[in-house]
Amino acid sequence: MITERLGTELLFLDGGMGTLLQEKGMKPGELPETWNITHADEIIEIHKKYYEAGSDIVLTNTFGANALKFQDDTFPLEKIISTAVKNAKEASFRAVKGERDTYVALDIGPTGKLLKPMGDLAFETAYETFKEVAVLGEAAGADLIHIETMSDTYEVKAAVLAAKENTSLPVFVTLIFDERGKLLTGADVPSVVALLEGLRVDALGINCGLGPKQMIPILDQLLEYSSLPIIVKPNAGLPVQRDGETCYDVTPEEFAATMKEIVTKGAVVVGGCCGTTPNHIRCMIESVRGIPVVPVVSKNRTIVSSYGKHVELGTGSKIIGERINPTGKKKLKEALKNHQIDYLIKEGIAQEDAGAHILDVNVGLPDIDEPSVMKEVIQELQSVTSLPLQIDTVDVEAMESAMRIYNGKPMINSVSGKKESMNQIFPLVKKYGGVVVGLTLDESGIPDTAMGRLEIAKKILASAALYNIDKKDIVIDVLCMTISSEPKGAVTTLEALKLVRETLGVQTVLGVSNISFGLPNRPVINSNFYTMAMQQGLSVGIINPMSEDMMKSYYSYHALMSLDDNCENYIAHYANQTAAAPSVSSKTDSELTLQSIIEKGLKDEAGAVTQTLLESKDPLDIINQYLIPALDIVGKGFEKGTVFLPQLLMSAAAAKNAFAVIKDVIANSGAPAEHLDKVVLATVKGDIHDIGKNIVKVLLENYSFDVIDLGKDVPPELIVQTVLDQDVRLVGLSALMTTTVVSMEETIKQLRSAAPNCRVMVGGAVLNQDYADMIGADFYGKDAMQSVYYAQKFFQDNQSMITSDKEEQDI
Amino acid sequence: MDKKTREAIRYLGYGKNAVDEHTLSLISKSFQDLESVAVKKSIYRIFRIDHEDEYNFSIGKIHIYSKNLGKNLKGCDQIALLGATLGTKVDLLMNRYALTDMAQAVVMQSCAAAFLEEYCDACQDNIASQLQKEHLYLRPRFSPGYGDFDISYQKPLMKILDCAKTIGLTMTDSFMMSPTKSVTAVIGISSLKEPCHRSGCEECSKTDCQFRRDIL
Repeated sequence: MITERLGTELLFLDGGMGTLLQEKGMKPGELPETWNITHADEIIEIHKKYYEAGSDIVLTNTFGANALKFQDDTFPLEKIISTAVKNAKEASFRAVKGERDTYVALDIGPTGKLLKPMGDLAFETAYETFKEVAVLGEAAGADLIHIETMSDTYEVKAAVLAAKENTSLPVFVTLIFDERGKLLTGADVPSVVALLEGLRVDALGINCGLGPKQMIPILDQLLEYSSLPIIVKPNAGLPVQRDGETCYDVTPEEFAATMKEIVTKGAVVVGGCCGTTPNHIRCMIESVRGIPVVPVVSKNRTIVSSYGKHVELGTGSKIIGERINPTGKKKLKEALKNHQIDYLIKEGIAQEDAGAHILDVNVGLPDIDEPSVMKEVIQELQSVTSLPLQIDTVDVEAMESAMRIYNGKPMINSVSGKKESMNQIFPLVKKYGGVVVGLTLDESGIPDTAMGRLEIAKKILASAALYNIDKKDIVIDVLCMTISSEPKGAVTTLEALKLVRETLGVQTVLGVSNISFGLPNRPVINSNFYTMAMQQGLSVGIINPMSEDMMKSYYSYHALMSLDDNCENYIAHYANQTAAAPSVSSKTDSELTLQSIIEKGLKDEAGAVTQTLLESKDPLDIINQYLIPALDIVGKGFEKGTVFLPQLLMSAAAAKNAFAVIKDVIANSGAPAEHLDKVVLATVKGDIHDIGKNIVKVLLENYSFDVIDLGKDVPPELIVQTVLDQDVRLVGLSALMTTTVVSMEETIKQLRSAAPNCRVMVGGAVLNQDYADMIGADFYGKDAMQSVYYAQKFFQDNQSMITSDKEEQDI
Repeated sequence: MDKKTREAIRYLGYGKNAVDEHTLSLISKSFQDLESVAVKKSIYRIFRIDHEDEYNFSIGKIHIYSKNLGKNLKGCDQIALLGATLGTKVDLLMNRYALTDMAQAVVMQSCAAAFLEEYCDACQDNIASQLQKEHLYLRPRFSPGYGDFDISYQKPLMKILDCAKTIGLTMTDSFMMSPTKSVTAVIGISSLKEPCHRSGCEECSKTDCQFRRDIL
């Protein structure tokens, strides 16, 4: 077995394939994978030369052999892959004749597509694509799977899961980093290592993109973070363009010299990528043979990651933002019930801006489909923030589906010392990876003493070890009881925190705000307790970063404990802050009316002035006397070409703030909520540009429509279903390009047959009146305001139609 | 006011109208954001081009029919194929502004487009200076989707540049670029030095376009 040799001796991979195929006459644009069948002898010959040069592992010629990339109807994928494996085996047989152990690695390259939310490839589609290749490869007799040249952590995750869930083969993974040490999608070395260790691959490393010299700084980082054997597979230097050809200039001797340095540093599986030849590999093997293997050492580093960022626990204290959680939050509960995911996402952005390092995500409410909402919220959050997330749920199904689609290595909240909990959660952590919060409670409850909590922490670590989950992936929560009912609550927690940290050397976490439950002015207790907990070794606190009191504790603790170099963060945060923010309302009230504030688009002032006006005026009067006239003036100005899009939107944002203040007052007065006309908005299937749709949304909301925003790349079926389910009379569709107007036409067709009373307005860069008529739309909005006017007129006419129908009936 | 600011203002539809201070501050914030989040990557390769007639020609195995591009490439026996992108983080930031501040989101879109054009100009200048040594000159760059140069050519062109692997630029099934702020372009190479409008806006047949540069 190769896994037994891995890390105990040097293993040699092969070198480049593409350049050699070109030399043998392959034309640009030809699919190299078809050569497995059409030119089997040439392929076997190349593999054979690598085995003869000393390679232990040869990669099959299947880099682009996946259903998304390999679109060729001459040969089925199954035949390509089985022949490719056969060719490599035949080459070994001819070259080595069984005299030493050699291996055939099924080569899996990227799909060439970007995954959602940035691109249009669904995670599960990527998974299915890789699954097909992996299963075919194992059936054909490959000894291991080598996933290579990956530049997106999400795609790598799909590929690794596909390989591990559907085959029993060892999995090697190498990615393509640039000279900054980043993937093309932005991930750094620690986040890649965290992800791949979590997914339990057998070895990880770098290939392609760079020459051996440029790879050294990245190798250094890999060695610093990785507890797994490291693979290095450089190009023969950086590519150079010469007479329209891509050339690589590093000679076999130069290559070998640098590879010697790379092996001495600690790489244990080495080979070459683009531009390297059997000669490069031979020279490399000659120069490194006999160098003692640097043992692979476990690094005790606790790291969570997203696709583009990592957060390491252990130095100073980190912040997990607690706000995305319906417990005790009326508005968030409402938003969840009404499926207003945007509200949750904005909570996330606000916490990031306030200084959170990780965001907790809890969407647990009775009567909602938690697994599906959790998945949706995580995907939406990951399309606007690169902060790592903490998946917080007691629903095991929701936990697993969220861990599966999460891009990175998440925090998991939580496991406890209860047998049932550990049996459910640890297998998930083992499979998907994650840093899990371990609560010090078990079947007998929460121990009253610090020692009792320490014992449970030990039990959790011991059980985790049985699943091969390292101590670094457990963060212990010694729990805090409110001091209003447990006088010794804080004392015990602080003692336990220190004890656990010092005895077990494990990272710690606390939900800090619990301490003050039932007491007045909770931020005072919370922030002081937070400082004390950090002092006792709290690695990460689950807190409200929007609370200035908490952030004061955070910044001052780090400045005081020499954890903030030159007090930089403290100064950046407080240097420009005056003691008290001056009140804006008293001054602007006299100088600027609400109407002119809206016209000028001053959103911060709009809310404050509305608040002041409400003291003397009726909410409806404010709307009719100030807000509507202001919006009308701005709208007309936009039509005339005296007001431009950014200004129109600034006014809309100001009006929105004013409306929000008024709505709160109306809601608190107990008056029934006003009935709003519903409009569905969507960017059609295949289209990922949603700015036009978002502009229309903001304006429609301003004019008091209830906008159901289905997002971008929306299938016609979902639009039809929403219209039927929610009895919607007006749909707005947007499309950017001619290629997606087809989807628009299809959507209109489906709407016509399923909901003949529903009207459709369309807009987007390529559309015009003729085009809109051709696809059967009811209205073409050449700009956002036109859509608003159409919607207003439509519902007014409709209203009078319904009324006149009624009148007729009455007569 | 620098060129990219003027271009961003044009994309926002201001025409010759004066821009308010508030919008100008959003523009300058957008360019600051772009400086910090954009990860500019580009690749180019030079290919021979075989003309069958005025409007039909081939690049390697790719056959192209286009009157507009044909006119643009008249007299060129080589082309430089360029791929350039600002990376996914720009999209992430635009998504974020679309939720928190739509005015900023709209301004960011325009600024990112202008920022990308400026980067493409720089890439093109770089290619031009390489070729100048050989007394070869560049024509204006021309992208799939311009005039009658069909957008579907995007696919084979991206494939021969291997854009996904080299610069992280991919395409959706509907021929949209992801990351969205990206460009592929064909640039004619000729031994004749001709006056070169670096940007092709003025060449377009859509003369009633509100964003058109030469009527503003």
